[in-house]
Amino acid sequence: MATLKAIRRRIASVKSTQQTTRAMKLVAASRLRRAQEALFNARPYHEALTRVSDSLLASAPEALGAPEGAERARLLVVVTSDRGLCGGYNANLIRLAEETMAAARSEGLTPRLFVIGRKGAEHFKRAKTPLEGERVNNAPRLATVGLARDVAARMLHEFRAGAVCEAGVIYSSFHSALSQRPVFDKLLPVKPPEAAAGAADYLIEPSAAELIPTVLRSYVEAAIFHALLEGEASEHGARMTAMDSATNNAVEMIARLTLEMNRARQAQITRELMDIVGGAEALRG
Amino acid sequence: MAETFNFRLITPTGVLFDGAVEQVTAVGPLGEFGVLAMHANFITSIAPGVITLKLGEGNFNEFLLASGLAEVKDGAMTALAAEAEAPGAVDSAGAVAQATAAEQRLATMSMFDPEYEEAAHALALARARAQIEQLRRAPR
Repeated sequence: MATLKAIRRRIASVKSTQQTTRAMKLVAASRLRRAQEALFNARPYHEALTRVSDSLLASAPEALGAPEGAERARLLVVVTSDRGLCGGYNANLIRLAEETMAAARSEGLTPRLFVIGRKGAEHFKRAKTPLEGERVNNAPRLATVGLARDVAARMLHEFRAGAVCEAGVIYSSFHSALSQRPVFDKLLPVKPPEAAAGAADYLIEPSAAELIPTVLRSYVEAAIFHALLEGEASEHGARMTAMDSATNNAVEMIARLTLEMNRARQAQITRELMDIVGGAEALRG
Repeated sequence: MAETFNFRLITPTGVLFDGAVEQVTAVGPLGEFGVLAMHANFITSIAPGVITLKLGEGNFNEFLLASGLAEVKDGAMTALAAEAEAPGAVDSAGAVAQATAAEQRLATMSMFDPEYEEAAHALALARARAQIEQLRRAPR
């Protein structure tokens, strides 16, 4: 049986871990709230943009395909986190990325990876998977318009130059703090929207064809910004859940160790009493 | 009192303006354009520059937009921009240096360079920032 001193030390260490996990949980909870707010604030933009781009893109579907003779390749942007301690968040994303890469290969497409977040980048480097590019250390905020713009510009550039014929983004879609699901969204080539019946007639200036590059850029930027927002909220949700269960585990462990400590102390007292009684008996005899 | 219509300025980080306006003036690919109430359905893109909202009773509101899309539908106007800056917060002194750098970069570039468009846009935006005071239309 462990000595009393060793158990006491163990309890102290579990207690300090518990304090850390509890603090991390609280921080994650407040960041999650902020991320959810950002997600909510982005909605009107997304809705209005979808309406405008649908009416424009439907008028010129031929401008949306990959250029002739584009390479048979699929660009995947994977949104992971910079920091760990968020349960299976990154592992799930990486698994989906690897599955999507395998699916691309079976369709005869070369998968090419662009990774956002240190955890994902480290994994693929360890696995010796060549990376098209990476964006790590995105503190303090992951979901910034600037990052979305850079990644979107890169994606559109590769697509227009014919280096890839498809492009998409893998991110974690946020349902609640308890549930996040990794998803793959194909962004390019854009599916021409079905011309909605009764769509408003617009005057388009200068012309639909000239506006399409702007619309496409805004569309891809918004989609990537959305993926970053969802990813950020998911990361904090996953971390909050993971840290909550870690805190609960610590509580349980402390209770168990306290019991063990009491038992050890009792055993020690009993042993000492036995020694005294034994000694007294010996003297009397 | 002029007739008003609803105008919304929306960015990915939130709705910056939502309310009744008398007139909106912005910069499009073909130059400055203005929208009054009862405008026909209309879509255009927004070039770097200042968008001015005439609120009535001599009140104005202005934003610097880098790029975006504008839509008029059923009498209501929506402007979509990736980013919008309040004119007072624009660093016009810093933008002069940016404009010079962008000019030099553009001068050595071919029209067919894939980055040409981006560089031209950066120049236009830096110029708009540098001249923010002249570009503001609202009386102050």
